[in-house]
Amino acid sequence: MNTVAPACPPEVLAGIADLELVARIIAEGLMSGLHRSPFHGYSAEFSQYRHYRPGDDLKYVDWKLVARTDRLYTKQFRETTNMASAIVLDTSASMDFPNADPPVTKFRYAVIAAAALAHLISGQGDAIGLLAGDRFLPPRAGRQHLRGLLAGLSSLHATGSWSVADNVRRASERLKRRGLLLVFSDFYDDEERTLAELRRASRMGHEVVLFQILSREEIELPYRRDLEFTDLESGKSLAINAGLARREYKDAVAAFLERWHGRAGAEGFQYSLIVTDTPPERALRHFLLARRR
Amino acid sequence: MLWLNPVALFALAAVAAPILIHILIQRRAERLPFPTLRFLQPTRLASIRRHLLEDLLLLAIRMAVLAVAVTALAGPLFVTAARRRDWDQRIVRAVVTDDRSPDRAAPLFEGRAERSAPHMEATFAAASLPDGIRRGILWLERAPPARREIVVSSPLPIGSLTSADIAGIPAGIGVRFERTGTLPGTRTVDAGRLLTPGAVRARQVTLSGDATSVRDTAVSDPMAWPVDVVSSKEDRPSIDAALAAVLSQRVWAGPPDRRVTLAVVNGAGPSAEMAQALTHALSSAVLIQQPWMADAAARIARDPDVRAAAARVRAGSPDARFVAAPWQTLASAVDGRPLIVVAGSPNRLVVVSAAPATDLMTPLLLRSIANAMATVTDLQRAEVVPISDAQVQQWSRPSASIASPRIENMDQDDRRWLWLAVLCLLGVEMWIRRGRPADEGDARSEEIPRVA
Repeated sequence: MNTVAPACPPEVLAGIADLELVARIIAEGLMSGLHRSPFHGYSAEFSQYRHYRPGDDLKYVDWKLVARTDRLYTKQFRETTNMASAIVLDTSASMDFPNADPPVTKFRYAVIAAAALAHLISGQGDAIGLLAGDRFLPPRAGRQHLRGLLAGLSSLHATGSWSVADNVRRASERLKRRGLLLVFSDFYDDEERTLAELRRASRMGHEVVLFQILSREEIELPYRRDLEFTDLESGKSLAINAGLARREYKDAVAAFLERWHGRAGAEGFQYSLIVTDTPPERALRHFLLARRR
Repeated sequence: MLWLNPVALFALAAVAAPILIHILIQRRAERLPFPTLRFLQPTRLASIRRHLLEDLLLLAIRMAVLAVAVTALAGPLFVTAARRRDWDQRIVRAVVTDDRSPDRAAPLFEGRAERSAPHMEATFAAASLPDGIRRGILWLERAPPARREIVVSSPLPIGSLTSADIAGIPAGIGVRFERTGTLPGTRTVDAGRLLTPGAVRARQVTLSGDATSVRDTAVSDPMAWPVDVVSSKEDRPSIDAALAAVLSQRVWAGPPDRRVTLAVVNGAGPSAEMAQALTHALSSAVLIQQPWMADAAARIARDPDVRAAAARVRAGSPDARFVAAPWQTLASAVDGRPLIVVAGSPNRLVVVSAAPATDLMTPLLLRSIANAMATVTDLQRAEVVPISDAQVQQWSRPSASIASPRIENMDQDDRRWLWLAVLCLLGVEMWIRRGRPADEGDARSEEIPRVA
């Protein structure tokens, strides 16, 4: 039976400045209940023999050698990486919401989740890269590279406009072999174009994982009074009575989410809708368990 | 129906307040940065919706609450025949007596038995009948609705009341006279002491019917001139001449303990002696606190001769000390500066004159001060001739029915029923308001499935 430790609230995680620490907290929490790597592609090649020591796994004992030499030897392997992953993180201004106190914006949430996954993937010895804003880090393995990636994530800001489609294309082209594409976005861009690029990446042999990150306010529109809504990216504004507009808004958002969920399923993408009031650890655990199935 | 406070009906304009609130108040939409506008459909703003007055019932009830409350404030009084009969049957009476009349202790006579039992009655014993009548009117104005009358209870000597005093009584108030006591045929009164050159004389006045006779008799009282004059040596002859002139005209003698210091400061030049006396007078000046000093100061200020003389003096005192307390200006010069100022001291009145010693002001002021010190018998109170019955009859009049009672005089009214209606309407308004959904969006709150 898996024992799941209590998840750390997103407000607390968002308040920790050290992203590496946050990533480690989440990754360790995640791995406490998972006994098998959720990411496939891990392999090892034979390196040498050494004398058996009590406690060694018996499956690594070379029984043929025992028969020939009447001595116990354990096989040792050298780890090799055969999976390249790339995190595509939406840095458009629409991710800078809600600007509450403490500031658990969609962007901050996405950074934390991406950092946790990067920590997890890197811990397995796989290569992980990053494409966010104007920053591109090619997939590499190793702790040093992970630190650089986390530092890159920490320095990002959600501002202006940023095309998910263009950057998915860019990432899929930079991945030299078949890899894993982890896309964090609210997917408010041109749906058809984004989907076309994701489909293209999939056809190139990459595995596509979509994290659609939204806030509770975006889904429920919990306002009742007159409000002048201002688009974070375009700056356009619309004055309406939120109470009156809520029904149509919620229907439209539900249709939007349903559309993404359906299309992702049809294309074979792994899709996760994450609401920012969910603890990141819980959201990622759900994703990883689904992936293992 | 009478309105006890009809001015309050102007507040009926407040009935428009709920409509104006609905129409005019527009809340500014608060600005909210939002990730995307693609799912938002344009709607009317709530402030615009208010223009439609969508809840007419609630609006009508709120307007009714205001209208009934304003009506209650206006004090409607339903004047039924029974209520008016009740008012007409009761009487509110103010009895005015002259407490300084020498004859007021005499037994009552005609008219006293005609008094009916009043609803309310109060007696006003005043120093003079007109003063008592004024106080009686004020009391009657505050009395509850009833027939109102003033009863003047006095021997009614001539001069104690005039037609002007009676004309000042409001028309609705009845006036009756009760002669009390008897006026003697002849009365001799001691009118006071007179200071004359070299002697003090006692004056006696005898009133006998229409005739008045005056007799002055020399008495052995010491000559006590009440005014000590401080002036420069050069002004002394002028002061002495003025004193002689005043005494030659005879002035009233006051009690010996009432003293006055008069400082004439606008002389030919201050001598050392005068400067010392002046400094002493000024340094001891305090606010007037003794009644006789205040009475004397008021008499000097009212003296028409002093005021006429002051109007001819061009310049007053430039000394800034006389403008502030404890000094009080009795007369000002043409330039507006104080000419005659007065202050008190522990045992005497201090008067300072900035008029030249040679001016006519000096003897007039000396005479005025001396007369102001004296206590002169009021011969009006010694009058032996009564006001004629014909005149009294002409002044008498019955009390009128109450026409428009005022809200503050009412011992009961119909406002309570309206306030009760206001409470009921407020209850209905609250009931309707609580029954309405606060926001139509709340009724359809849906559970968003949580993901992950």
